[in-house]
Amino acid sequence: MYLGLQARLDRLFNRQGDGRAVCVAADHGYMSDVTPNVVNLRPITAAVIQGGVDGILLSPGQAMRLAPLFQGRDGPALILRADWMNMPRLGTSNVANAVPQRLLVHQKVVTAGQALDLGASAITIYLFLGYNDRVEATGIEVCARFVAECHQIGLPCIIEPLAYGGQVTGANSVEILTLGARMAVELGADALKIPYTGDVDTFRHLVDVSGVPVLVLGGARSDNERDALELFAEGLEAGASGCLMGRNVTKSPDPKRLVEQLCGIAHKGWSVERAMRTEEWAYLKLKAHPAKCTGCMLCVTACVASHDSGAYGNHLARLRIDPGVKAGQHKVMFCTLCKKCLDVCPTAALRWHPENGAVELLVDKCTACDKCVEICPTEVIVHSDAGIQIATGETLDWYPVVCDLCGGEPECATICPTGAIFVDERKELA
Amino acid sequence: MDSKSYRLREFINPGDGRSLVVDASAGLALGPLAGLEHFAEAVKPILPLVDGVVASPGQARHLTGRTRAEAALLARADWTNALRGPDFVLPPETISHIPLLAPSDALDLGASALVLYFLLGHEEQIEAGCLRSTVQLALQGSQVGMPLVVDVQPVGPRVVLRGKAIELGVSYALEGGADGVAVPWPGRASLEMILKLSAGMPVWIKPTSLEAVESELAEALILGAAGLWLDERLFSQPDPLGVLETLRAQIHKIVSVG
Repeated sequence: MYLGLQARLDRLFNRQGDGRAVCVAADHGYMSDVTPNVVNLRPITAAVIQGGVDGILLSPGQAMRLAPLFQGRDGPALILRADWMNMPRLGTSNVANAVPQRLLVHQKVVTAGQALDLGASAITIYLFLGYNDRVEATGIEVCARFVAECHQIGLPCIIEPLAYGGQVTGANSVEILTLGARMAVELGADALKIPYTGDVDTFRHLVDVSGVPVLVLGGARSDNERDALELFAEGLEAGASGCLMGRNVTKSPDPKRLVEQLCGIAHKGWSVERAMRTEEWAYLKLKAHPAKCTGCMLCVTACVASHDSGAYGNHLARLRIDPGVKAGQHKVMFCTLCKKCLDVCPTAALRWHPENGAVELLVDKCTACDKCVEICPTEVIVHSDAGIQIATGETLDWYPVVCDLCGGEPECATICPTGAIFVDERKELA
Repeated sequence: MDSKSYRLREFINPGDGRSLVVDASAGLALGPLAGLEHFAEAVKPILPLVDGVVASPGQARHLTGRTRAEAALLARADWTNALRGPDFVLPPETISHIPLLAPSDALDLGASALVLYFLLGHEEQIEAGCLRSTVQLALQGSQVGMPLVVDVQPVGPRVVLRGKAIELGVSYALEGGADGVAVPWPGRASLEMILKLSAGMPVWIKPTSLEAVESELAEALILGAAGLWLDERLFSQPDPLGVLETLRAQIHKIVSVG
C-alpha cells in the first residue's frame, strides 16, 4: 500500500525531481457559474498541459471526457474532485441569482476506488470550518472515510480546509485555516490544498505545523497576473510545495503562459520579475579575442578585487590567462557555461542564476565533494580560502568559487584595455 | 468506439446525428394520463416513428419484441413527486427524489440508456442527491457501457433565472459524467451557451408546448441540438402519429418522393 501511495505522490510532486508541483484546478463547472473557463474547458486544459503543468483537478465527468489529454509519460497527474458542495451558490453570482441556496451542503460523491478506476493520482476533498458545528462534523466524517478508503488502495488524499461561514472573521481566518490544516493532517491527509494566509510568516507557521506537502490555492481571479505569481512565490518562500490554482489560470487570457511562469518559479527558481518578462531574454556570456590579449592580467586582478575584498592572491580568480602556443600569445580561460558542473553536482547545489544566467552556488546544498572542480574543462572553478557553515550546522572546509558574471556586469570585460574579453548574449538556457 | 457509443447510436441516428425521443414514463409519478391509460396500445404505434422511448422499469415489459426499425428503449432510472402540481390528487408537501435503477438493471431490461431527472430549485439536499446520482450512474454506466441521459428539470420554487438555471443543470450533468442532456427550451442565447458548453454531447430540446414545437425545433437544429424530447402531452393530442410524422421529417430531413 505504501508503495502505491508514494508512487502516486511522486507522480504529482516529483515530476521535476524537486518535490514541487504546479497544479491547476479546473473543477469549477461542478459547483459554480457557467463562465467562459467552464464552457471552454477542453482547450484550456490542453493549453495548461502544453505549459507543463504537473497536475490537473477535474470533476468525475470531465475526467472521463478529457482522459485522452492525460495519456503518455509526460502527461499531467489527474487529481479528482471526490466531493461536492454548493458554497459558491450561497454568495452573489449568476448561478446564485438563478437558483438561490440557503444552506451549505457538502457530500461525498465518488469512492476512492472509483477515483482510482478513472486513473487519478490523488483525490481532493473539502473540510469546512466556521460554518456551523454540523457542517464541520460532516466534513470530518467525509474526510475520515475518504482517507481510510484511499490508504487501503494507495491513493493520496489531498484535503482542502476552507474557512467559511458566520464564525469566520477577518481576525480569526488565519487561525481557523491553521487549525484546519492541522486537523486535516491529523485525519490522515497526504497533502493539503489551502488558501494563502496573506503573509509569509503566518503561512510558514501553517506549513510548519502541517508536516505534509502544502499546495497554495489562488482564490478568485486577480486582474493583475503579477498578483498570482507573487502569491505563489511567497507561498514557496514560506515552504509550500507548489500550487493548485484555479480561476487565475483558467480565466487567464493565456493559460499556457501563466503555467509556464508558475513552473519557472517553482522548478527553475525564477523570480517574479523574471517570470513576468515577455520579451525573449538573452543571458550574458563571456567571449574573448585571444589575438587582442596582451597578458596584462588586469582581468584576473579585477576579478579577485571585485569579489574577494581583502583577499590577496590571484588563485581566487574565476578566470585565468594561460600562455598560448606561440611566444607572446595568450589564452583567456573562463567559464564557458558548459553546464558540466551543474550536471555532475549530486545535490543540485549549482544552478543557473535566474536573472543573469551565470552559474550560481547554493551554499546550503553544497557538500564540498569537489566534483565540480574536477570536471570543469577550463579549470576555473577553484577552492575558496575559507570554510563556511551550512544550514545543517555542519562546517565545510572550503566551497567552490564559480564565476557569477559579477551579477550582470563582468568586471573582467569592463576593465580589459584591449577589448580582448567582451560580453556577448546567449539565448535562454534549457 | 466504446460500448456506450454503440448504445447511443441505437437512438441517435448515426447518419445525421439527430434523434426524436418520447418520454412515456410519466405514469410512474402521475398515474394514468390522458392518452396513456393503456401504455402498450398508446406506445406501440409510435415505435416506428421515433428513435427512442423512455419507459419506467415496469412498462418496459411492453416494449419487448421490437424490430430494428423500431425505437430503442431508454429506462427511467428514478422517481420523483416534484412534477406533481398543487392540483394533483396528492400534492407534494416535501419533494422526494428516489433512484430506482442501476446501469446493470437497465442492461437486464435491454435498455440503450438510463434517464435521470436533475431537479433544480428545491431543497439543497435534493439537488445534492441528483448530483450524486448523476456521478454514480455515469461511473457505474461506464463499467457496463450504459449511457446516461440527464433530464434537466428547473421546476422548483427557487428558480429565478430559468435560462441560467438550465445552463447550470447542463453544467452539472456534464461535470457529473452524463452522455446526453434533455433540456426545456431555454431561449436562443442560453441554448447557444449550452451547446458550446456541452462540446459535442447530444442535447435534446423539450419544447415549451406542442404549438411551439416546430419553430423551437427548427431553431435548435440550426444551432446544433441533437433533436427533440417530447413528453406525455403528446399522447393527449388527437393525432399523435401525425404530429410525430411531421416532426420526424423535420428532424431527419425526410423528403417524400412523388
